[in-house]
Amino acid sequence: MKNLIIRGLSKTYLDPYAGAHVTAIADVSLEVVQGEFVSIVGPSGCGKSTLLNMIAGFIPPSRGEILLDGRSVKGPGPDRGVVFQSFALFPWKTVLGNVTFGPKMRGVPREERERIGREYLGLVGLAGAAGRYPAELSGGMQQRVGVARALANSPDLLLMDEPFASVDAQTRMTLQEELTRIWQERRPTILFVTHDVEEAVFLANRVIVLSSAPGRVLAELPVPLPRPRVWAPLVEDRDFKALVARVLGMVRPA
Amino acid sequence: MRGFRRRHWRADTAYDRVVGGPGGLRPAVAFLVPLGLLLMVWAVVVALFQVPARVFPSVGEVALAGVQSLSDGSLLHHTGQSLLRVLVGTVLAIAVSVPLGVAMSVSRVASAVLTPLFRFFSVLAGIAWIPIATLWFGYGFGAITFVIFNAVFFIVTYNTLLGVASIPLPLRYAAASLGAGPWRMLTEVLLPGALPNVVTGIRTGMGYAWRGLIAAEMIATNAGLGYMLFLARDFYRTEVILLGMIVIGALWLMIDRLLLAPVERATIERWGMVRRVG
Amino acid sequence: MARALRLLGLTLRWAAAHPGLSSFAPFVPILALWALLAASGLFPAVFFPGPMEVLRVFGTLMYKGVLPDYLEDSVIRLAVGAAAGMALGIPLGVLVGVSRRAHRLGWPVLLFFQAIGDIAWLPILLIWFGFGLGTMTFVIVYTVLFPVVLNTVLGVRSVPLELTRAAQSLGAPRFHILLEVIVPGALPNIVTGLRNGLGYGWRALIAAEMIVGTSGIGFLMFDARRAGQVTEILLGMIVLGLLWYFVDGWLLVPLERATVERWGLVAR
Repeated sequence: MKNLIIRGLSKTYLDPYAGAHVTAIADVSLEVVQGEFVSIVGPSGCGKSTLLNMIAGFIPPSRGEILLDGRSVKGPGPDRGVVFQSFALFPWKTVLGNVTFGPKMRGVPREERERIGREYLGLVGLAGAAGRYPAELSGGMQQRVGVARALANSPDLLLMDEPFASVDAQTRMTLQEELTRIWQERRPTILFVTHDVEEAVFLANRVIVLSSAPGRVLAELPVPLPRPRVWAPLVEDRDFKALVARVLGMVRPA
Repeated sequence: MRGFRRRHWRADTAYDRVVGGPGGLRPAVAFLVPLGLLLMVWAVVVALFQVPARVFPSVGEVALAGVQSLSDGSLLHHTGQSLLRVLVGTVLAIAVSVPLGVAMSVSRVASAVLTPLFRFFSVLAGIAWIPIATLWFGYGFGAITFVIFNAVFFIVTYNTLLGVASIPLPLRYAAASLGAGPWRMLTEVLLPGALPNVVTGIRTGMGYAWRGLIAAEMIATNAGLGYMLFLARDFYRTEVILLGMIVIGALWLMIDRLLLAPVERATIERWGMVRRVG
Repeated sequence: MARALRLLGLTLRWAAAHPGLSSFAPFVPILALWALLAASGLFPAVFFPGPMEVLRVFGTLMYKGVLPDYLEDSVIRLAVGAAAGMALGIPLGVLVGVSRRAHRLGWPVLLFFQAIGDIAWLPILLIWFGFGLGTMTFVIVYTVLFPVVLNTVLGVRSVPLELTRAAQSLGAPRFHILLEVIVPGALPNIVTGLRNGLGYGWRALIAAEMIVGTSGIGFLMFDARRAGQVTEILLGMIVLGLLWYFVDGWLLVPLERATVERWGLVAR
C-alpha cells in the first residue's frame, strides 16, 4: 500500500523582518491511506500550506519525517503531483503541452504521451482546448488543466493547495463536484488543503483540523456522507450542516 | 505560507536593488568586493604574463596616472567639463520637455499627431546629431550640449506623452467629480500620474546622453573625458585611457544608481505602479 | 495659421481612412513645414536645405550606389554584432541568474562594464586592433551584450517560484527546467534586453563609423560634415531613423507579439 505517513513534523523558520524564529508547524503526525481523500482545514496562517510544501518536498522540515510508500521524502518528485492555487501553468506551452509535460520528462514517446494528455483533458472536460494557450482560458478552465497535468503523471499522491481559492464562487462549486466525480472514477490519493470548511467537508472522506499558528492537529473527523456528492441537495442536508458547524466551532472558537 | 514566500522573494530582490544603491554598509561591501577581485585578477595577469604597457597597463601605472592627473588638475578639469555639459543639457531638456509633453497631451489631436513624431526623433537621439550639431554650432560647448539636450529632450517628451496617456480615465473622472478644475487636474493628477514615465524617460535619455557626450568629446572639443581618452590614444598612453574608462564607468554608475534609480524606485514602487514590461 | 490647421485636419481625416498609414500621417505636415521654412530663406540654404534637396541627393547617392553599399555595411555590422551579443549574452545571463554565487560575484562587475559604455572603449581598441573591423565588431558586440545579459538575469530571477516547483514535482531534471521553464520565462526580459541592446548598439555603430570608419552611414554623415554637405547629413539622419523604425516594427514587435503577448506575459 502506498500510504503517506508523517511523524512528529515541525517547521521553524527565521522571519527576516521580525528577526525572530517563528514556528509554523509543531509536531504534526498523520496518515493518509492509498485511495483516500483527506482534507486539511485550518484558519489562515496556521501553516497548512507549509505542511503541504514539506510533503511536496519544496521546503525541508526542521524536525520529523515524511514517508511515502515507505520511502523518506527528500525533495520534489513525480510520485507526488501538486495542484497550485496560482495554477502555475507554463504560459509558453499549449494546454496539451502542459498536460504532457510530466510524461515527456519520463521519456514517454510523443504519440503515447499525447494520447495520455488527451485522455486526461477529456476527464476534466477540456478535450476541445488542447491547442490553446493558458492565457486564453478562464481561471476555472486553467485549474482544470492544472488538475489534468498533475493526474497525467499518475502520482501516488495528489497534493492540492487551495486550488479553487482564486476562481469565482459558481465555478468553484462546479470544480468541487467535478473533483469528487474524478476521485470516484480514478481513486487517486488526495491531500487537499483549504481554509474553507464547507469545501473541506464536501470533498473529503476525512477532515483533519489544524489549530492556528503554530499549526497542530486539533481533530480528525470522518465524513460519512454518501457519494456522489452534489451541492444542491447537500446544502440542505442535516448531517452535512452539523459536521460543518462542528468543524467551524474548532476553527473559529468563540 | 503564501505571505512568507512572497516576502521572502521580495527580500531577495530588494537585496539586489539595494546592492548598488544607498542603504547601509553591507550592500556597498557586497558591491565592491567583486570589483576588488577583478582588480586583483588584473594585477596578477599583467605581472604574470609581463604584458607590455603599450597593450595593457599595470594597476600601478594607472594609479600613478591618476595621482599625476589629479595633482596637475587635468583630471578634475576634464571631469568638470563633462559633468557641466551633461548638467546643462539635461536640466535644459527636462525644463522644456516636461511642460511641453503635458501641454501636448492635454489635446487629444496634438498628442495623436505628435506621438509618432517624437518617437521617430527619440530613435535618432544622441550620437546621430553630432555631425549637424558641429556644423551648426561649431566645435565646442554648444555642439556638445546640443547633442545632450537632444538625447534627453525627445525621449522625455515622448515618455511624458505616454505617461499622461496611461493615466486611467476613471482617475480623471474621479478628480473631476471631486471638483478639480483644469489647473488642479494638471498639478494633482496629470503631472504625478505621468511622473513614473517621466523618470524612466530621464534615465533612458541620460544613458544615451552620457554615451553621446563621450563620442562628441572625442570628435568635437578640446576638453572633457572623451577628449582626454582620445588624446591619450595619440601617444599610446594606455594607462591614461584605462584611467579615463574607469572614471567614466564609476561616474555613470554613481549617477545612475545613486541618483536616477532611487528616484525611479521611489515613484514607481512606492506608489505600487507596475511598470509595463519593455 | 488657419491654413496649417486645415492641413492638419485634412491629414488626420486621411489617416483615419487609412489606418495602416496613420503612423506616417503626422510626418506630412512636418515635411510641409520643413519645405516652407527652407523656401522662406530664413536660414541660409547651405545650413538648412529643403526636403526636395535631400530627395535629390538621395537619388544621386542611390544612383552612384554609395548609399546602398554603406547601408549594407552598417546593417551587416549591426546584425553580426547583435547575433554574437545574443549568443554570448543569453547563456551568461542564465548562468548569473540561476547561480547565487555567480550572481553575487558577477552582478557588480556586469554593472560596471555596462557603465563604462561602448564608446569609451574606442581609444584602447584602436591601439589594439587599429582602424579595422576588429574595433567595430568589438564595440557592437560589447554594446549589445550587456543589456542582454542584465535583462536576462532580471528575467531569470523573475520567473515565479511556483513554475519551477511545478516542473520539479512533474519530475523534470535540472537541465529541462532550465530549458523549458527558466529560459522561456525570462523571454520577455530577454526581448527587452535585445531591444535596448540594439538601441545602444546602432548608436555605438554610428559613433564608431564616425570616428574610425571607412564606410557605413555614420561615415557618410561624418564625411559629409567634413565637406560641409548638410544635405547628406540630413539624409543620413533620416535613413537612420527609418532603419530603426523598420527593424523595430518588422522584427522586434512581431517577435514580441508571437511569443510574449500570445502567452499573456504582458498586458497590452
